[in-house]
Amino acid sequence: MTQSDVEPRKDAAPGSDISPDGDGAPRRLHPLTLLFASLRLARQLILPAVIAAFSRAEGDPARIATWVIGVLAVPALVISTLRYMAFRYRLGSDELVIDSGVLRRQHRVIPLSRVQNIDLRESALQRVLGVVEMHVETAGTGRGAEGSLEVLGRDEAAALRTELLARRRAVREAARELAPAGEIGGAREGAEENAIRARTVDDQAAAPVQVLALLGTGRLAVAGATANEAGLIAAALAALFQFVDEAVIARYLPILTLAERIREATLFGTIWLIAVALASLLIIGWVLSIAGSVIGYHGFTLERVGGELRKRYGLFGRRHTTVPIERVQGIRVEESLLRRPFGLATIKIETAGGSPGERRRSGAEAFVPIVSVAEVAGLVRGVFGDLDLGAARIQRVHPRSRRRAFLRYGVLSVILFVLVIAVSVLRDLDPTPAVLWWIPVLLGAAWLLAAWQYRHRGYALLPGYALARSGVLNRITWIVPNWKIQTVHRTATPFQRRHGLSTLLIDTASGGRQGRVTDLGADVAEPMVEELALRARRTTGGW
Amino acid sequence: MDASIVPAAFARIIRDMTTAPPLVDVPAFQRLDPRIATLWRVSTALNTLFWAAVVFGVIRFLSLPLPAWGIVGSLLAAGAAAILFYVPAKWCAWEFQVGDADVRLRHGVFWRTESVVPHVRIQHVDTAHGPVERGLGLASVIIYTAGTVGGALTIPGLALAEAEVLRDRLAALSGRDDAV
Repeated sequence: MTQSDVEPRKDAAPGSDISPDGDGAPRRLHPLTLLFASLRLARQLILPAVIAAFSRAEGDPARIATWVIGVLAVPALVISTLRYMAFRYRLGSDELVIDSGVLRRQHRVIPLSRVQNIDLRESALQRVLGVVEMHVETAGTGRGAEGSLEVLGRDEAAALRTELLARRRAVREAARELAPAGEIGGAREGAEENAIRARTVDDQAAAPVQVLALLGTGRLAVAGATANEAGLIAAALAALFQFVDEAVIARYLPILTLAERIREATLFGTIWLIAVALASLLIIGWVLSIAGSVIGYHGFTLERVGGELRKRYGLFGRRHTTVPIERVQGIRVEESLLRRPFGLATIKIETAGGSPGERRRSGAEAFVPIVSVAEVAGLVRGVFGDLDLGAARIQRVHPRSRRRAFLRYGVLSVILFVLVIAVSVLRDLDPTPAVLWWIPVLLGAAWLLAAWQYRHRGYALLPGYALARSGVLNRITWIVPNWKIQTVHRTATPFQRRHGLSTLLIDTASGGRQGRVTDLGADVAEPMVEELALRARRTTGGW
Repeated sequence: MDASIVPAAFARIIRDMTTAPPLVDVPAFQRLDPRIATLWRVSTALNTLFWAAVVFGVIRFLSLPLPAWGIVGSLLAAGAAAILFYVPAKWCAWEFQVGDADVRLRHGVFWRTESVVPHVRIQHVDTAHGPVERGLGLASVIIYTAGTVGGALTIPGLALAEAEVLRDRLAALSGRDDAV
């Protein structure tokens, strides 16, 4: 397959020429779609071919595999050609229309006002060939992106995206003019509504490009190094065995007899070998994680252009995502255990692009893979212009939260202790009374854990935004704008009720986990439900 | 407390079970139709009988060294207790309110939940009823929002006519605003 057109496209205008107004003519995908369809097909055929080749005892495996591929591939190639021929897309003035399907024709209309985000992806191969995949997501609950155009020429995709976003803005502004604020919602407040309009309606043509984040290789290496716990465990193991080696062997080996010494040394050698193998595996994983981050996020740039966020990254394959700011459901600041000591965090952005039914595709996009805590406030302000995160005072939840957690962990550890004792008594191991010392130690640990958990829980109500924080291993701070709050829930388990506590959940249309504040006192939770419900109904930013 | 739902002898015990102070003190909360308690009772009874039969069958069929009658007896006792205590308590715990600005639902005997749905956030409203509910003249109202956790909130056990009125009222209230 070559890059030249397989057949003359009668109904499609060339490359970057998308008519700026009115309905465009239906267009076809880039002819290279056929190449990528066949590559995908080849990947799918490898497994059945291998299975077929080895499932039969007699016969030449290679010949059988060839036959299987031939029998399966020819109709598949015909089908993908037909599919390519049947596929048409058209950008209307207020909708993206996609016609597809050979036998079962599908006519899909995506209203531009519903577009959540636009994703351009190119693998290394696609990049060499100068084509990209375009995915247009809405808040629908379908599988995958609602509008997938694979493959488009690079210029064509860029022009299509620009035009799509421009028309989307035009549609939304027209809708606002038809329905001015104050007339529709009696409960709305003018000032807040105006603030939303100021945030979302921008003169895109004259909009300056504001670079929010630009990550260098060093930063990305740090991101990869702290992405998971492998590096930490490797370092800890190495340190431990260094210690064991020096302290134990040096101390005990001289006092043993020669035979004992040899046996011990052999045992130690085996342990050593296993430890070294484990440590090197972990180190390899760690290095791969660093390399993955440096390559995958190479040249990470996040910009704000008017009312849109644009993110692009990747060394070989590249990805370019555009999210309209009014579609941002919330921001999540994640500080993992490993990153907290270094003052580092990840910022994630929630859109409704993911679907509630699917757990895998949560709406959260790694917005900035690594950022120092000092920069978080500035970055968040780049998205929510009127939010001053630096001035936010995070309030602690009720102190009885600590007592409740202590009771839980304390009771659990005592039960565990009693079980261990019971088992050892049953097996005639006769534990000495000294084991009773374990009880205060266990209870102390339970208290520390409870206090730790309590310290990492919090909330704040800022003008226009609500903050919720929780998590010990991965501390997450949710930032939910008022106009994205859908419903407010307050729950209390029997154990919470004993302490007069309850949990508050702020529900938004984002796909991931929702912001929650656990163990609020009744004096705070009740007015907070009222306040959040009031905020939710006074603002209608939509979703 | 509705006398028709709760046997007088158990009224006090149930009240004690649900004395957790109401989550927010707003007047004019509505209760479910008392007939839904009948439905819950019947379904609890059927469930209990079904599981008792299964357990009995398994023990007898595999001739396990377990006291079959004892286990079945305690299962039946638990079911009876649920019918006598839990179902009325569940009914008592369920309440909802349609205010000027939002819908509030409260339910749960042990795990209490209060949900607030602002009218402007309602996407659409359904009524639904199964065959048994229909036989009793009952229906559920389901409120849909764009939220992930509270995407579909159900008010069960309303009289059919009442459910339809509520559905239309909520739909009209939500229609005052455009939540695109």
